[in-house]
Amino acid sequence: MSEINYKSRGSILNPLRTLSFLARKPVTLPLEPRAAAPNYRGFHLNDWEKCIGCSTCQKICDNEAITMIHIPELPEDPVQGVRAQRPAIDYGRCCWCGLCVDVCPTASLSLSREYIHTCEQHELDSYFILPDPHGMHKRFYDHGWRKTADEDLIDLQRQSMPEREPVERLQSFDEFIDGYDTQAAILEASRCVQCGMCHDSCPAHMHAPEYIRAIWEQDLEEAVRQIYRTNPFAHVCGRVCTRRCESACSIGVRGEPVAIRWLKRYAMDHVSHERIRAIAGGQRSGNSSGRRIAIVGAGPAGLTAAYDLAREGHAVTVFEALPEAGGMMRYGIPSYRLPAERIADDIDVIRSMGVEIRCNIRIGQDITLAQLHENHDAVLLGIGLQFGRSTRIPGSDHPGVHSAVDLLRRIRLGEFVAVPPAAVVIGGGNTAMDMARSLARLQIAQHGLACVTITALEDREHLLADQEELRETGEEGITILPARGPQRCDIDDSACIDGLFTVAVRSIYDEFGRFAPCYDDSDVQLHRAGMVVEAIGQQADLALLGEELTERLAWDRGRLQTDNRGQTSEPWLWAAGDLVNGPDVIHAVADGHRAATGIGAWLAEFAEATA
Amino acid sequence: MRPENYQAVSHPPSHEYELNIGPNHPGIEGNYALRLTLEGDIVVAARADAGYLHRGFEKLMEGRLWMQNIALVPRICVPDPAHMEICYALGVEMLGGLEVPARAQWIRVMQLELSRITAHLFYFGGVAATMGMYSNMFWGVADRDLVLDLFEEFTGGRVYSMFNVPGGVRRDLPDGFLGKLKALLDYLESRLEDYDNLFFSNYVVVHRSRGTGPMNRQQALEWGVTGPNLRATGLAFDVRRDDPYLVYDQIEFDIPTEEAGDALARILVRRRELQESIRILRQVAEQLPYIKGPVRCPLPNPLAWNVPAGDSYARVESSKGELAYYTVSNGGDKPWRVHIRGPSQMHAVQVLENLSVGSRIEDIAQIMFTLDACPPEVDR
Amino acid sequence: MEESKELTGWLERVLEEFHGVKVQRKAARRMRIDIDADALPALLELLQGRAGYVHLSAISCVDWIDDGQFELVYHVLSYETGTLVSAHIRIARDPGVYLSVYDLYPPAAFFERDIHEMFGVYFEGSPDMEKFILTEWDGPPPMRKEFDTRAYVHATFDWQQYDPEWLREIRARGGGIVE
Repeated sequence: MSEINYKSRGSILNPLRTLSFLARKPVTLPLEPRAAAPNYRGFHLNDWEKCIGCSTCQKICDNEAITMIHIPELPEDPVQGVRAQRPAIDYGRCCWCGLCVDVCPTASLSLSREYIHTCEQHELDSYFILPDPHGMHKRFYDHGWRKTADEDLIDLQRQSMPEREPVERLQSFDEFIDGYDTQAAILEASRCVQCGMCHDSCPAHMHAPEYIRAIWEQDLEEAVRQIYRTNPFAHVCGRVCTRRCESACSIGVRGEPVAIRWLKRYAMDHVSHERIRAIAGGQRSGNSSGRRIAIVGAGPAGLTAAYDLAREGHAVTVFEALPEAGGMMRYGIPSYRLPAERIADDIDVIRSMGVEIRCNIRIGQDITLAQLHENHDAVLLGIGLQFGRSTRIPGSDHPGVHSAVDLLRRIRLGEFVAVPPAAVVIGGGNTAMDMARSLARLQIAQHGLACVTITALEDREHLLADQEELRETGEEGITILPARGPQRCDIDDSACIDGLFTVAVRSIYDEFGRFAPCYDDSDVQLHRAGMVVEAIGQQADLALLGEELTERLAWDRGRLQTDNRGQTSEPWLWAAGDLVNGPDVIHAVADGHRAATGIGAWLAEFAEATA
Repeated sequence: MRPENYQAVSHPPSHEYELNIGPNHPGIEGNYALRLTLEGDIVVAARADAGYLHRGFEKLMEGRLWMQNIALVPRICVPDPAHMEICYALGVEMLGGLEVPARAQWIRVMQLELSRITAHLFYFGGVAATMGMYSNMFWGVADRDLVLDLFEEFTGGRVYSMFNVPGGVRRDLPDGFLGKLKALLDYLESRLEDYDNLFFSNYVVVHRSRGTGPMNRQQALEWGVTGPNLRATGLAFDVRRDDPYLVYDQIEFDIPTEEAGDALARILVRRRELQESIRILRQVAEQLPYIKGPVRCPLPNPLAWNVPAGDSYARVESSKGELAYYTVSNGGDKPWRVHIRGPSQMHAVQVLENLSVGSRIEDIAQIMFTLDACPPEVDR
Repeated sequence: MEESKELTGWLERVLEEFHGVKVQRKAARRMRIDIDADALPALLELLQGRAGYVHLSAISCVDWIDDGQFELVYHVLSYETGTLVSAHIRIARDPGVYLSVYDLYPPAAFFERDIHEMFGVYFEGSPDMEKFILTEWDGPPPMRKEFDTRAYVHATFDWQQYDPEWLREIRARGGGIVE
């Protein structure tokens, strides 16, 4: 350390020392604007293509400087999770901390390398800007502070869900997904940024942000309360829902979406059944309205409508042809995905609202629809699609060719289904996967070895089943052959099914988008199997309507015509669920709500009119 | 205090008069007021009047998430913001049990020492200005600007870097940064001789500041003086040595002291500290290429981050003295209480008042500036 | 610093005899003592006179509104050992009065004045209880939890209204600010 020589006295020659400065480079900065550092936090830039309007930036801003602006021309797609909103920033409040950039789920926001904005007092409006990709003064200064892969404030990875190994899974029809434990659930729930895209895209508009927050705060009863605002089948949806919410999730844009379905399952599994009944039972109207409503079919649509109508005070009776309530949930989805006990739990809550469910009664047979119409003020058909479609290929009328819907129902009814050592399933959707995996389990139980092949018209990228199902099916040793169409069944000399001939598919849709598959007849394969199962779609069984009613009703291209609430052309007859809107549990729940609201409103008008 | 609220106090006929200095005055550091009672040129009584920079940070911080507070915190001390950020981060880390990766700790040390250099360069300019020499201010601010360029490079902000989060720092160093740092350290060291010739060895400066505002050890300890002001009385107490934080226990540096306890001693202590900071930075620049790893420990989503209940007291050595944060959490996602103890809370109030009594009016500015009394810290 | 005991042996024994004292080591150089409000001045005197805790780093006040108490924390530091001892006491929120420790530690004057201004706690014996920072404030002590800054701002100030051209154009097309 050099000593400071401050004890010396002054000298007349001291100022001459300053002459040395003439030889030095002056400390001077150029007048031209200079580029800011590559990491500089300047004014905001927003890439409108990437931005989805989730408003997470608005939430993290500590000065509340960000406002969302609705811009009508922008694309808006609730199902994909895109809003026609973009952030606007008030530079009177912004402090340029860059937290909005670090938290943005799509990485559309960044800060530029621009230093200066000045204005006069009367131009203060220029402080409120709508960032776009071009820069605040319409001159693009390069990107400065932007999000990097390491410096993301959001966790892009989901908590993994523990599940059993494929070999173990095939040994039984037991549920193989273990569910989140508390720590995993809290961590997963903390990933949510509360943007609400899931709420917008869910067909039933479940209050997912609220129940995810409640799970994070470990207030599970509040979570159940939020769930029951829109969905009385949360045990079911927490396992098998098609998860529109997760497709819309903002975190899913660059990472894995928040596991909303598993969190719902966690909340429902960890609150006792008695408490769930008590929570769901709140907000009932105590008065009985004196109205009687019959619902045909104890599936998700029918029972949701029953739940809503019973809470309004109407007397609801549900008629179910099969031995237990549940509809397709109970008899169409295998128990390794959805155990019967969970369905029974959900249905028990609905029963506790005062709904009467009468099983083993087939309408159209045991009781006619006309009788129902006499004894009730309104009838809701929630009968679903009970018939499977057939490919109608040669040999498809042989007894060894089954429809997936039938077989799945028989397995769920507990019947013994003899399965040959090899089987082929035609179809590429979730039902085909369910069928194939059920057959594989039965084969392991009956023969010790599974051999199931799936053939589907679509190619691998376009298979209709969802990605998780495809992965699990593949893990369980089932062969999936995409882009192959069924040609004919091979029947051997003893009149038994011996296999299926398939032919390669060149294209499925013609240039107008109509279904017109085109095959390459030179590429034919034979898949040896003792059983062929068709899983290519479902149809409604409308025999219960009877000839006269069928004549009177309005139809729309083979489907029963209903208005947007579910009312058919006969005012007392309503329809909801798969029958009207195609197969999916959560759509059926949403439909059930709409029908219940419609019936309630119609009955109130009716009462006024006759009063 | 606004003019309309001033209540005139009537004195008995005497040769004492009251003089208000501030809040906007070149002889006052920051926005601060001193009400002096003078008898001729000698100060008989002094009373500090603060509050012109009160922004209510402690209350504001209670209403914001833990992560959002990083944007508020540097603004509490204007000349030396890095210490504020890092002290807040240390406090939350103590509460939450967060472990800061090694690379982040070295980067933080670099940030702290660079911030100390900027604060001292500014300080020399300020002190010189109280003696009527303005060249030092120009030089100091120009050299400080070069350091701010470095801050802009690696933190993204020139003065308020908002670079530290509880758990680490926000970005890694850009490529080539350490080369620029070394070049700047060489430049600053070469400038020290110029500063010595201009200011520190300057006979006028020495003569004016020697004996001004003297404090002895006893008084310093009694009045709660910390930092360079305490070291100017001969006590080698430094938080970096006594209560080490970050990686200061792995770095070699000396604690400069002076004996006299007057304004000159305070100036010289800081001059030597500047050299020590350069020495520390050289060691950091040597070590950083070998310390690899993340610059932040994994943190939860800032919108869903609860810190466990408890309290913590984090102390750092800022350029002015002992800076401490007392942080209390009730287990929620916002702080329950953050109490900021800035060194100037002692220096600008009691010490300034006590040292002013008996000194001459022309020395008041010098006393305040050499104490490095920073009003934003007092007012928060 | 050498690893001498932060509190001399006899002091620790004495503290154990005090009724209602809890000593807890929080970290390497941090110790927490919870003590009754009446016993605090004696504790501080012992720490200062006999254990070398000569530096009062800060006095903090925490408002525990749900408990109806203020917590006062006295942070004292020993330069020889480098350890900080935080002595926590609780006083009732209403009336919120306590003794001053100015005679032991002169820096306390600033903190007590600050706490008086911000929380409304009166320290008997403190040399100066006049307002310091909020000289023209006539509302309630602002750091108390019941003081809502947001409500105060809404009542007192006007918000800046912006009307830039781009917003007018968007409004004309049917868009606007999302509430």
